[in-house]
Amino acid sequence: MPCDELPDDLKILWKETVMDRPVFSPHQLRAEAEKLQAKRRNGYLVLSVAFLSAVASYAFFIFYFHNTYTRLGSSLALLVFGYLVIDTLAKRARALPDLGEPDGLCFYRGELEGKRNWHRWLPWRFLMLPVPLILIALGLAQFFAKVSPFIPPVIWSWTVFLLAVLVIWGPAKHRRLAREYQDRIDALDSAVRSAGQTHAKD
Amino acid sequence: MDRTEGQDELYQKAAQEYGEALARMAYAYEADPDLRRDLLQEIHLALWRSFAKFNGRCSLRTWIYRVAHNVATSHVIRQTKGKSVRTFLTLDDAEAKTGIEDVELSANRAQALSQLLALIQQLDPLDRQVITAYLEDLDADSIAEITGLSAANVWSKIHRIKNVLVRRFHRGGGNAL
Repeated sequence: MPCDELPDDLKILWKETVMDRPVFSPHQLRAEAEKLQAKRRNGYLVLSVAFLSAVASYAFFIFYFHNTYTRLGSSLALLVFGYLVIDTLAKRARALPDLGEPDGLCFYRGELEGKRNWHRWLPWRFLMLPVPLILIALGLAQFFAKVSPFIPPVIWSWTVFLLAVLVIWGPAKHRRLAREYQDRIDALDSAVRSAGQTHAKD
Repeated sequence: MDRTEGQDELYQKAAQEYGEALARMAYAYEADPDLRRDLLQEIHLALWRSFAKFNGRCSLRTWIYRVAHNVATSHVIRQTKGKSVRTFLTLDDAEAKTGIEDVELSANRAQALSQLLALIQQLDPLDRQVITAYLEDLDADSIAEITGLSAANVWSKIHRIKNVLVRRFHRGGGNAL
């Protein structure tokens, strides 16, 4: 088997891959870029409306339930969701990210870091909610205990379930994913280090 | 010539000269035909947008490959959707993998091509960049400029890629090639 010629044969084979080659005009791409930007902005708008409806619900709780725990918990939850509304609207205002200049290694590492940071940060966002949740549940349990003795156990069961998701399952899952991205970054760094320096920049 | 005009002209030149290579690159990053069409459109869109900022500090070819690979890398990572990134195969894994059918190129080109694509589509994005650029006949220095790896690192990767390929394919005796 003439191994030296095999890669060249594979290069010929590789060039047989294509098939259909779509053609785009600059006009089409300009329209597509505008569509993409609008879609992205609308997505963030829908998300901020969802957070805004949570803000409205907790504001309603504050005025409807005259219970210190529920009011305190609702005020904290209102702050959390208020922050999420502002954060989402700030993201909406940003332009589409650039994919040009950085070289492959730099870009790939940046993408992995971005994903790792996202999975690192999400559990902290989850952890903002348990305190308001417990306070609201405490207040609601007190309020509904006067209506029926069967309602408070239902409230507490739901609270325990939500706390398990927010404090145990969610953070555990995201920490595992963050660790995997970090492992990938470490492997990438060590592969680059062991094989020599990176390419000199332009 | 204003900026938009220059951007459009550069894009048209890029699409004309590198359109086929970009389409092949999309195959290396996405197996699903519908998602591949979307990826290719995304690559063309990113290229057109990027030409608004093209400053000539690197060659047009380097710029095009960088943008295209970056879009494809982003696509591949996005497709993991919370699944493990450990599913990417490193060159170490590819070299260590045993029990793979050795395909004869001259006898069964379709099978060889699908096995070549299957191998590339499993690789870590950075290794995919190296192998696709290598298959496109780019030299080590050009691949180094695109990927940001040193030329020595690229050489070492190419050497290992050749080893993996030689273990999975053989030429066969015919004159089909």
